Amino acid sequence: MRVTQSMLSNNMLRNLSASYNKMGKLQDQLTTGKKVNRPSDDPVTVMKGMNFRKQVDKVAQFQRNLGEVNNWLDSSDDALDHVGSALHRANELMLNAANGTLTQQDRESILAEIKELRKTVQDLSNTKVGDKYIFSGTKTGTPLFGEDGYPKNDNTDLDNPIEILTGFTNSVEIEVFDGVMLTVNTNGIDMFKNIDEMFQDIEDAIESTNPSEIQGFIQATQEQLDVVLMARANIGARQNRVEMMEHRLTAQEGIAKKQMSENEDIEYEEVITEMITEESIHRAALAIGARIIQPSLVDFLR
Amino acid sequence: MRSTFMGLETNKRGLYTQQSALYTTGHNISNANTDGYSRQRVNMQATAGYPGVGLNSGTMPGFIGTGVEAGSIQRIRDSFVDHQFRQEANKLGYWESRSQAISQMEDVLNEPSHYGLQKSLSQFWQSLQDLAVNPENAGARAVAIQNGVAVAESFNYIHKSLTEIQTNLGTEINVSTKDINSLLQQIAELNRQITQVEPNGYMPNDLYDARDVLLDELSMYIPIEIAYEKSGGRALAIAEGSVTVTLKLDEGDPVTLVAGNHSATLTTQPTSLIDEDKNNRPITGIHIAGIAGEDSTIQHSDLLDVGKMKSLMNSYGVAEEEGATGLYPNMLTELNRMAAAFANQINAIHMNGTDLNGNQGGYFFDVKVNGESFTAANIMVDAALENNTSLLAASDSAPGNPEEGNGKNAQRLADAQSRPLDSLGGSTIETFYQSVIGELGVEGLQVEKLKTNTGTLLGAVEHRRASISSVSLDEEMTDMIKFQQAYNASARMITVIDETLDKIINGMGIVGR
Repeated sequence: MRVTQSMLSNNMLRNLSASYNKMGKLQDQLTTGKKVNRPSDDPVTVMKGMNFRKQVDKVAQFQRNLGEVNNWLDSSDDALDHVGSALHRANELMLNAANGTLTQQDRESILAEIKELRKTVQDLSNTKVGDKYIFSGTKTGTPLFGEDGYPKNDNTDLDNPIEILTGFTNSVEIEVFDGVMLTVNTNGIDMFKNIDEMFQDIEDAIESTNPSEIQGFIQATQEQLDVVLMARANIGARQNRVEMMEHRLTAQEGIAKKQMSENEDIEYEEVITEMITEESIHRAALAIGARIIQPSLVDFLR
Repeated sequence: MRSTFMGLETNKRGLYTQQSALYTTGHNISNANTDGYSRQRVNMQATAGYPGVGLNSGTMPGFIGTGVEAGSIQRIRDSFVDHQFRQEANKLGYWESRSQAISQMEDVLNEPSHYGLQKSLSQFWQSLQDLAVNPENAGARAVAIQNGVAVAESFNYIHKSLTEIQTNLGTEINVSTKDINSLLQQIAELNRQITQVEPNGYMPNDLYDARDVLLDELSMYIPIEIAYEKSGGRALAIAEGSVTVTLKLDEGDPVTLVAGNHSATLTTQPTSLIDEDKNNRPITGIHIAGIAGEDSTIQHSDLLDVGKMKSLMNSYGVAEEEGATGLYPNMLTELNRMAAAFANQINAIHMNGTDLNGNQGGYFFDVKVNGESFTAANIMVDAALENNTSLLAASDSAPGNPEEGNGKNAQRLADAQSRPLDSLGGSTIETFYQSVIGELGVEGLQVEKLKTNTGTLLGAVEHRRASISSVSLDEEMTDMIKFQQAYNASARMITVIDETLDKIINGMGIVGR
């Protein structure tokens, strides 16, 4: 085949631009850390990548949701712990009061303390996490114990006779995994109402100074305490579930991120080695070009 | 009887002929880097001997040569390779343009990245999850609505950008049509010049080169067939004559684009690709105002699937019975379908919920003009909702009974992420989008490969053509020496003859002097 200067120089240009091209691609990969930067680089990797991204985002979201779940459960547990202490104290006071040898002054101080305990429990029923009243069901913007006491289903609102309570008895659920909903609130309206009514009865009984009645409250406070303990046991069980979920999500996160990384991240050692190889090829192309293009017969004629 | 000065004449011819060869060498060297230039060669031939052959020619022993002449100056070229080149150029024109159209589409869609539609969708779902957890929080509500706005704007942006590129493709079709018309005119003009020169026995090599360059260029745009028609008069046998260019078609008779010094004029159908409302009109075909006054309209489907022109049409969108089809219209249709499915789904769930005031939920997404169905272009968050976060229906409580902490409807909205939709053929919004991107990627990859392959093939043909036609300086230098020496030798011969004449003129008839 006849070969001419223009063919050689065209060849050289083509080779140089091809190697620039390859280096450009490698440079893209090195700066982004990704094997693919557009769908046509590798459609399968890109599609898988989009899917993995979705998974990673989802796991991150569920982890964020879990944080909120913990917030709810821990706060509820803590509040109920305080309610328990109050009931415990009330129980002690009832044991004392049932003794029968109380002076008027003793009785008054017990009454005062009972009133304080009642208030404490009322305050606890309005426990807030952030902006939310956690014992108000889905009416998280409304305190459970309001100006008119606990919400009553007294049927005075004729337009809306029954549903006035539904918000307070609704459960609040948070998704912690695909389709897995966790109830995070503790339905407190009945419990707090009963406790409050019990305190009311105690106050009435102390004021009427009938020791035999007071005897009955030892049992009553104990029963309420059991209710609170049961609610706390329920929270504890849910906390266990949350913990399990946390482990599962952490594992999921690891898996999804690893898969995503394996799918689309470059192996730096590999790409840098390729880059260096490409660079030396480019240098060779330049050097050879410079040698081949230069001399022609023109240089040797007189 | 031969003439006394015949030797002088013979060698003068030698001088002249070698000189033409030298000048041609010079011409070759000068044009070593000219695009489309083919090297030229002087075809030398011996002149008729003495005496000439004939009844009344004198008789004498021997037959003396009278020297050399330049019979013709021919360019070195292989028409078969030219044919091959144009065939490959056709394909490269097609794939190069398609690859460009796809790569622009990829740039707009910008996947995978942190700024694509998928990311804004993902953020929207996430903010709905956050809303489900904190439905009473005005911040969470605002974020969910704003992320809805971001999704709508992503759809709008992609639609607008793709439409703009489509418009650019339309402009490119117009420009290409003008280019083609200009090429046809130039070829016809060169035909005219060539047919004027050839009958005088000349070889207009440089005009041939110019014409071949134009034919190469033309074949990037459209598939052509060429034929040559000899000039009359004293045209040399190796003269090329006038070229006739015809458009090859898939169906129907080929259409003549250039014949002699006449050329056809192409216009797109419809003539203006943009309508009064600045929308892109799909193309139906090409109208050709023919050479002899006869007009023909070529349907898009009759054009062969080669050449930049057809590729541009396929990317821009062609009119079919069921509407526009093509790379860009198809992508826009898919995106419209996705936007509609997405908006309808979100709306349906949202309108089933209850807002912060205990009212039933309204539109989440609202089209700009009521009554229209959703498309990627018109999807937008309902203005009232955007201005008032309390209208976001996050709750599933009964109407009239607001529950600020009820996020169950927000949860349903968030769960729409993984709900298969009938209007998307049973895919979720995201898997549908993934498959759209996947298909684009697969086609992009394939087109890129085809482009590289045809590019390589064209390169190989170009290489072969260069090996035949391009100028080698070494070769020209060698020729230069060769012709220079022949010139010198002819000159030396003249000196010898001069000396012999000197003998006759000055050395004879002086016996005894």
